[in-house]
Amino acid sequence: MSAARNRTPFDAGRAVYLAVNALLVAFLLAPIAVILVFALNPTPYISFPPVGVTWRWFDKFFSGADFMNALWLSLWIAACVLVLSILIGGASALALARGNLPGRAWLTAFFMSPLMLPAILTGLALFQSYLLAGLGRPVWGLIIGHTLVAVPYVIRTTLAVLHNFDRRIEEAAAVLGAGPIRVFFEVTLPLIRPGVFAGGVFAFIVSFDQFPVSLFLVQPNGETLPVVLFNYMKFDLDGAIAAASTVSILMALSVVLILEKLIGLKAYVKL
Amino acid sequence: MRDLPRRPLRAAPDLRHHRKVIASRPTPVAWLIAPAALLFVLFFVLPFAVMATMSFFSHNPVSNPNAVLTFRHYQRFIDDSAGIFHEALLSTLRIGLITTAIALAIGYPLAHWMARMQSRLGHALLLMAVIAPMLTGIVVRTFAWMTLLQDKGVVNTLLISWGFTEKPLPLMYNEFGTVVALVHIYVPFMVLTLTGVIGRIDERLEQAARSLGASRARTFLEVTLPLSVPGILAGSLLVFALSISAYVTPSLMGGTSVLTLPMLIAQQVGTSFNPGFAGALGVILLTVSLAIVVAYNRILARLSGQGNLA
Amino acid sequence: MTRTVPFRRRSLIRTAAGLAAAATLGAPAVLRAQTRTLRITTWGGKWGEMMKGQVLPAFEKEFKCTVQADQAFPFLPKLQASPKGDPIYDVLHTNSNEQWKAVDEGLVMAKITAREVPNIADIYPYAISDKIVGVSIFTSAIGLGFRTDKGLAKPTSWKALADSKLAGQRGGYIIPVNSLGQAHLMMLGKVYGKGLNDLDAAFKAMAELKPIKLVDFTGQMEKMLLAGEVSMGVIHDSGIYRYDGQNQPVDFAIPSEGVLALEQVLNVTPGSKVRDLAFAYIDYMLRPDVQKLLAEGVWYSPSNRKVKLDPKFDAKLFNTEAKVAQLIQPDWKWYNARKDDIDARVTRILRD
Repeated sequence: MSAARNRTPFDAGRAVYLAVNALLVAFLLAPIAVILVFALNPTPYISFPPVGVTWRWFDKFFSGADFMNALWLSLWIAACVLVLSILIGGASALALARGNLPGRAWLTAFFMSPLMLPAILTGLALFQSYLLAGLGRPVWGLIIGHTLVAVPYVIRTTLAVLHNFDRRIEEAAAVLGAGPIRVFFEVTLPLIRPGVFAGGVFAFIVSFDQFPVSLFLVQPNGETLPVVLFNYMKFDLDGAIAAASTVSILMALSVVLILEKLIGLKAYVKL
Repeated sequence: MRDLPRRPLRAAPDLRHHRKVIASRPTPVAWLIAPAALLFVLFFVLPFAVMATMSFFSHNPVSNPNAVLTFRHYQRFIDDSAGIFHEALLSTLRIGLITTAIALAIGYPLAHWMARMQSRLGHALLLMAVIAPMLTGIVVRTFAWMTLLQDKGVVNTLLISWGFTEKPLPLMYNEFGTVVALVHIYVPFMVLTLTGVIGRIDERLEQAARSLGASRARTFLEVTLPLSVPGILAGSLLVFALSISAYVTPSLMGGTSVLTLPMLIAQQVGTSFNPGFAGALGVILLTVSLAIVVAYNRILARLSGQGNLA
Repeated sequence: MTRTVPFRRRSLIRTAAGLAAAATLGAPAVLRAQTRTLRITTWGGKWGEMMKGQVLPAFEKEFKCTVQADQAFPFLPKLQASPKGDPIYDVLHTNSNEQWKAVDEGLVMAKITAREVPNIADIYPYAISDKIVGVSIFTSAIGLGFRTDKGLAKPTSWKALADSKLAGQRGGYIIPVNSLGQAHLMMLGKVYGKGLNDLDAAFKAMAELKPIKLVDFTGQMEKMLLAGEVSMGVIHDSGIYRYDGQNQPVDFAIPSEGVLALEQVLNVTPGSKVRDLAFAYIDYMLRPDVQKLLAEGVWYSPSNRKVKLDPKFDAKLFNTEAKVAQLIQPDWKWYNARKDDIDARVTRILRD
């Protein structure tokens, strides 16, 4: 399909291709448009058509100490989770792909299992274990809980790119005299970058958006944003939660833009 | 397992032999598994063992001295006297499979577009569009879908005002609404996973096929698609795992007509306060889904004629 | 983080064999003992804002302690997971049905009297009745919320919800997860059968209510009513009155058969190390000034008879002997014992 890019005879096919993709993007963005409307609409519920524009929900979000503390805590935790899961997940993907480990298929499935268990159960199990070990509810316990559900993404996405990876490039580098460390940093790492990048994006988002695992592991006055929003919503379901969502999206988008400006994301995702 | 984890691009027989020799014992790289193994043993296997142990107790033995060992939680699931548990398991898996299939169908074109996008700006915008839904927060996002799909929602209002239908269509409080919302949440996982893989496919292979006279469809089916199988596998497994363990979305979107195992588990933990039964349901769900994942790995590996994709 | 340290120290002390060990490790614990910590559970939203902004700081100041308020619901599974001798909370705040489950497992005290909590002497009998484990500090009334702009007459009976005009326009709760839904089910037994415990009549009446929109929690029902997605639904009075003065076309109706009480219940865990403080907290929450503040903040009916509400609240909340007589308290012990069967039956009925 993409081969049609520079050829005129295939315009029809290309048009269909673009139209389908445009529709799919519309599908992805439709709920976000709703959230934006909810965040700006003065009524305390979602109404169509909107009756006006107000900043009061953003005010409420930004002036709420609980919201702000939770936002920073969530960002901080997500950053820790990002680093931890890239290191742990990337390393184990390499081991799974290159280590000739016995029972590889089962191991890989095993590393997926935290995703298959309803997270509320993972949260409860961790909480119960921390209590039994007399640890209470430390912040690192929450970070580990998030890392546990984030690592499978990094493993998956990294394995996927490693799979299409022609090992002869590494072998060639080694033959040309590069040491293993140099081969890793100059050949392997650039090649697996798209997978690690995608996994890192997932890890950050999964942590930032994590609710069921956090539910049991957050400590009083140390709740993450999704927990605070959920508690808030059970009693006050108003535009403040939509404002929170909008702020999260805008933050993420600005990160994407900054990364794009600084390093050129395309190179990362596509190689 | 049987093979080296790399795609044998019509590999020569001698190479295969070579690989078999290496495959016989782990290489030093295998040690890189250690941190993950430690993390999983300490913080997943152990806690899960605690949970699984709990599933053989009548009450939480930590706080309840009257807790006794019992098989009754599993018996209750097996007997299923009310006729809901087995159905819940089946509908969990069905929703998982449908969601995965649709997410793949939707995610592939988007991933292909993103991977082959020439313009930097276009690429950044598309990436933003894909990432944005993931950051809305699970509950808020579900509410947005409710606003779109409910009887007085945007879609029904538009359909009625355009005269397509007189009465609102039942777009939510059923499996349809559940699947739509699940696909929406999880399609980004599919797209980003696939993009990494499609982006790594050497476009010259496609160009070569085209110049040899293959049609675009044939080039896609015989070159691009087979080469993206690892991404399809990875993305599908992620989406499947996520959708069979989701409970917020099905409970908000499904109304009374959808009942999944994770919903039951959440009910048992949060409102029936029966961690034993919740644990038993968790053990059952995890066992069934692990079996499916391993089987899926095997089948896809066999179909694509490739040694090992996992 | 640091908050858990005292408890870890304490458990260390318990297990330490030698006096010397206790002396060295005990020193910081003694220092901290001057500011004791009370661990409670509480709600979020407006209630949580008022608690954290005003009520709890004032309590901390008066009793020279720190209050650690857990707002991450559900609380009972966490209490279940903590050892009985070292519970994770000192005071458990939940709705009534959960307290019954908790007392069943010995996680909260069976009875609290005016001896431990003096203000109990001033509360309405329902707040400490045999249908309550612990003390009810506030109650809401579960009745019918309805749109005033749909030409609907103000409902006078629970039967109004079954009006065929409301098909697909009526709202209820997912019964397994919401106590309003559970209470409503029992009410159906009373209205259509022999009494609150007449489940067969209740199931039959429930089936007649289909098609019905079921939600997870009350905030959602409020929004469905406000947005017009539902024209009449089961809801507690505070969920409607809180929009008072905002020009919303919704109102609350008290059916002639009575309203159901949705109590806010406090109770103390038997293993609490600061039991006196826990009782002091309950007593504090029952003080007239605290009751007035919170009642008027979130439209909850106060338990203390001595509370004088402003006219606007006085007109609507349940704060006289005559008004509280309309409150019906379900037998949650009875219900909890059957919950699993009821859940299964209801799930079946609504799916078929």
